[in-house]
Amino acid sequence: MHTAYRESIQELIDGTIGGIRRAELERHLAECAECRSFLADMETIRQTADSLDRLEPPDRVWLQIAGRLRQEGRVQPPQPRPARSPRYALLAIAAALVLAVGAAIVALVSQYRATPATPPTATATVAEPTGNPNADLAVESVETEFRLAEQHYQNAIAKLEQAARLDQAGRDANTLDAQTAAMLQKNLQVIDQAIAESREAVRSEPLSAAARDSLFDALRRKVALLQDTIALMNEMRKGNSAGAAQIVDGLNKS
Amino acid sequence: MRTEEMALVDRCRGGDLAAFEELYRAHAGKLFSVACRMVGNPTDAEDLLQEIFLSAHRKLDGFRGESALGTWLYRLATNHCLDYLRSRAARTNQLTDELDDEPGRYEPGRAGLAEQAVTKMDLERALAQLPEGCRAAFLLHDVQGLEHREVAQALGIAEGTSKSQVHKARLRLRSLLSREKSG
Repeated sequence: MHTAYRESIQELIDGTIGGIRRAELERHLAECAECRSFLADMETIRQTADSLDRLEPPDRVWLQIAGRLRQEGRVQPPQPRPARSPRYALLAIAAALVLAVGAAIVALVSQYRATPATPPTATATVAEPTGNPNADLAVESVETEFRLAEQHYQNAIAKLEQAARLDQAGRDANTLDAQTAAMLQKNLQVIDQAIAESREAVRSEPLSAAARDSLFDALRRKVALLQDTIALMNEMRKGNSAGAAQIVDGLNKS
Repeated sequence: MRTEEMALVDRCRGGDLAAFEELYRAHAGKLFSVACRMVGNPTDAEDLLQEIFLSAHRKLDGFRGESALGTWLYRLATNHCLDYLRSRAARTNQLTDELDDEPGRYEPGRAGLAEQAVTKMDLERALAQLPEGCRAAFLLHDVQGLEHREVAQALGIAEGTSKSQVHKARLRLRSLLSREKSG
């Protein structure tokens, strides 16, 4: 190995080699198989390194950071955006909600067609009146739409929770291993905390679109987590360990 | 770009959570990738990522825009990772070497890495065996794509030291990968 050229080869890989040294190196490489092999190895390492996957943190990391910042009083509550039409924004949210809740219910019905027809109990934890002294009729109408949208979500969550409870009660108590159950429980607690905090923000700033977006986002996360929980139980019931592992993997990443 | 970054930083300094979430979304993936590969497991990397961003929020007042925000965050992240590794090593009495001088032995006559079909998984395994100093430099330069000048800023070292650490990392990886493939 011609150690004198090793540094030049590394600089060639880095793209920092000067013209004169590059020409000298190329002349040497034309004659030296050992240095050509070294160059090929360095290129393989560089290219493989460049192709390594970017790893994404699960959403709970941001939820925990935001929670800590709020707890420590280092961020301000969301500000209202009076210049925008809240009604227009809420209608858009409501349209998205219809799709999202509809999908949740379709998934639920298709998975649980064989489940005994127990009527679902809606928890319907609707946002309390805001007491905003500036509220006029238009605002009241927007508030009504918002509460209805939230109630749709709460209904979907209640149905999913009930389905999960029925599913768990219908078979032995060890359906989920302790580690997975603990992870699900932890994720649920994080989301419930985010829901509680977002709801508090909506109460204090009822016209803030950011606060409402945050609440709906947390509710959407809860629906998704409950859907995944049910899907996981189904795969375990079917004895499909590969499918269950795939869902657990997804839950760990979410 | 720098103006936009400073505007975002100003909003974060004012306690705007949405602005800080925007900053988080823009940089969390890169920092998490580095943290995972530095500490070797995603659970510890998640905890570190939290600490990195909470620390960033506290220190934003001191950010003057002399380097790019991303480079500043990389510096916070690598400092957190190196502190974590040192305290873990202290707990388990492991020896650590920050700047490694031994490039690793390579036995001539073996087939080249290209012929041995080195996979990403092979490289991930070999990376975990690198000394932490040159692992950090290699991750920032060859995996994250920073220039040596930026790696030097992120790690608080000279540009020449960044080059030598990355080069040593590649030599060690060559040795580890060829050993793994032939062993």
